[in-house]
Parts: sequence; C-alpha cells; structure tokens
Amino acid sequence: MNNLCTDIGWKSINHAGEQLCGDHVDIVEQDENSSVIVLADGLGSGVKASILSTLTSKIISTMMANGLSIEDCVETIAATLPICSVRGVAYSTFTIIHLINNETAELIQYDNPMAILIRDGKNYDYNATEMHIGGKKIFRSSIKLQEGDVFVAMSDGCPHAGIGIGYNFGWQRDDIITYMEALANAGYTAKTLSTYLVDEVNDLYGGQPGDDATACVVKVRRREPMNILFGPPSNRDDCGRMMSLFFSKEGKHIICGGTTSTIAAKYLRRPLRASIEYEKSDVPPIAKIEGVDLVTEGVITVNKVLSYAEDYLSGNELYEEWSQRRDGASLICQLLFEEATDINFYVGRAMNPAHQNPDLPINFSIKMKLVEELSRCLKQMGKRIKVSYF
Amino acid sequence: MKVTVCIGSSCHLKGSRQVVEQLQHLIGMNDLKDSVELGGTFCMGKCQQGVCVSVDDKCFSVTPETVGEFFRTEILEKLT
Repeated sequence: MNNLCTDIGWKSINHAGEQLCGDHVDIVEQDENSSVIVLADGLGSGVKASILSTLTSKIISTMMANGLSIEDCVETIAATLPICSVRGVAYSTFTIIHLINNETAELIQYDNPMAILIRDGKNYDYNATEMHIGGKKIFRSSIKLQEGDVFVAMSDGCPHAGIGIGYNFGWQRDDIITYMEALANAGYTAKTLSTYLVDEVNDLYGGQPGDDATACVVKVRRREPMNILFGPPSNRDDCGRMMSLFFSKEGKHIICGGTTSTIAAKYLRRPLRASIEYEKSDVPPIAKIEGVDLVTEGVITVNKVLSYAEDYLSGNELYEEWSQRRDGASLICQLLFEEATDINFYVGRAMNPAHQNPDLPINFSIKMKLVEELSRCLKQMGKRIKVSYF
Repeated sequence: MKVTVCIGSSCHLKGSRQVVEQLQHLIGMNDLKDSVELGGTFCMGKCQQGVCVSVDDKCFSVTPETVGEFFRTEILEKLT
C-alpha cells in the first residue's frame, strides 16, 4: 500500500449540430484503490455513435471491474453491439485504463489515438504488446505508477482538430504531447487538464467540431487530507469535543461560518480578525485566525462553492473565475477541488435563530442540504468524503 | 475611533457590503483615514437589527439607505 491516489477528469465536446456525444467515458471503482476507466468512441456521430460507445464503455468497465479478462469483454461487445445498417459493422474504439491498487496502470487500447503518458514533465514512451482478439488488433501495456504521472486518453476527434483549417493533417499527437507537457506539472487537476485540451481542440475546429472529441486525464498524486468545519454543534456542551476532534486531524483546516469561527477562536485562544476586502465577489470577506488555514462566512460562501462545484463537474466554465480570485468561496474551491483528496466535514447542527426568518434565504434545512449536495459533488470528483454531525 | 461593520451572513444579505463601501468612501472624502479605523467582524448576535455597526463599543443598526446620516451624526459630529 502506498500513499498515492488518482485524480480522474474528462471533458467531451459534440460534433457540431449534434445533441448527443458519440464518445463516452465510464468509470467504475472496483474498490478504494482500484478503478476501471473506459473511453469509447462510437462509429459516426449522434444517436447511433452514442449508443455504441455507451454500450461499449459500460460493458467493458463493468466486466473488467468484476475481474473478467479482456478477451471476454471484446467477445461480449462483438456479440452485443447493434450492427450499423450503413456500414454493416458494429464498431466502437476504446481505451481502457485499469488502475490497480494505485500501483499499476494497465492500458488496453483499441484503435483510439495511443494514450499519452507524461512523467516528470516529459513524454514517456511506454512499451505496448500487440494482441489479436476476434480479429481486432489490441495494444496492452502495464505501467508502474509514479507520483506526478499524467495519462491522457483521447478520442480521434482530438488529433483531427483543425484539419483543413489550421493544419493540413490535424493537431498531431506530437503537438498534443508538447501542449500537455507544458501543462502537466503546473498543478492543474485532471478535470482542468482535460478541459484545456478539449477547449484547444474546439478552438482549432473554429468552434464547429467536425467530430466528437473527448479527453480523459488521470493524474497520479499524493493523498492530501483536508478538514472543514461548518456550523456550531446543536448542543453547546459539544463545542470542546467538536473543536478538539477537528483540530487534531492531519491536513489543512477550513472554518466556515461567523459563529463557528468565533467558537474556534475562543478554543484556540487567538483573536479572530475579519477583513473588509470584498475582492470583486458577491460573497462576504474572509477572516483570519492564527493556526487556521482559511476562515470564511458560512451559508452564502458555501452556496457559492456548491455552484462552482456543479459547474466544475459539467462544463467547467467558471474555472478562470474561482482559480484566480481571492474571495472566500474561490479559496475554498482551490483547496477542496485542486488540493484535497480526502475531505472530512465537521458539521454542526445548531440552529441560528436569526436565520429562521422567512425573508432570508439561509435557514437551517438549506444549510444541511448544502452539505449533502456539496459532498455528493466532491465524491463525484473522486474525493473521499467523511461527514460527521454534531 | 473604531468603527466595526458586521459582515456575517445575515448582515451581508441586508447590505453590509454597500455599508462598508459607502463608509470607506465617506471616510476618504472627509479625510478621516487617520482618525477612524474601519474594520469587519463576524456575527454580533443582533442579526434582527442588521446591518450591525459598532462605534467604539456602541451598537447601531444601519442600512445602505441610512448610512450617510449615520456617518454624519455618529462619526463626523463626534469627531469635530
């Protein structure tokens, strides 16, 4: 067992004019440290391609995660996929990244552009063994993981970008490698890396993609615990217990909420200093307590964090906003989305009488809902979440 | 003189941002930066009367509409 973990993120864009994407990424967690990621690209585009790729990725990921061999998977797909009436074949290319115990990555690739591995900021040429299964040529590799490794799997929509517009032969794999080498070590998350790549592809297509394009990035990193305190405990007598549990935990400490930070400051016997810098944002300013990494206001800030989290998981369009700004919500996002891998929530269930005013959009049930929604989003980002209520 | 504005959730929603910005502006206009220390604080426990502003240890209820008058009577006049 090592202290590595993987950050997985992907983004797709659709063929211009299509509502569905013909590429599909499916991720199945086998256990805490192993997962199967499949990126499938269905023949053609639109509904048909979408069905082919969804079936392919779902079948492979489910079968692989249950320990079946790649031969079985390929046979099953060949026997299951509907045959295209135009071309007379059932066809979906795929890239499988099977992460085993956070130690090894097994790559199985069929007809997609070969996945890129960037190690120590440089392209790493890994070995691949050619296999023939059911008449298909499949490449298989087994790679020992190192901290900082970045795997980039993509559909052929990426290297085809810009054909006839900016480039004669598209955005070739070597060009993509150069582009990703520059970004890989800059501390971006997998989701952000895939977003940068696919956005570039979209630009090269002039905003009118000639094919569905998908990039899926797996980043190997060290585990980073983070603790977040939100709300005072329902029973006043639990303050000391809640604080000592919170502060005894390894990793950074974030405190959200005015009353909560007052309690924490009292517990630490340190002054609480609130700032009045609004930082171009609509959330309240942050505060400082010596020994705490970040102190912010509660519900309004966390609500903003939740909206950033939802955006991050869909289009990731607000990235430039929260990754640059210095307001409370943006700082929380940087810590939770980019830095943390294991997040412990310490949630107090105290009711703030001042908030139970029907004119204010911040009552108790909304606070509890926020925690639920935010931890669901963070889980979807691949983080391990533990929530304790007080 | 120390002027503290609550920036907690409740007061924030009632406009503490506008109160802070107008006070900063008024303090600058009247050249009082050296005699008034403007700061923020989290909840003062009087959310119903927000936006809570304290001048030295006395509490006031201010809104973005009344901040001008508040500045005149409680800060400017007290200092001159």
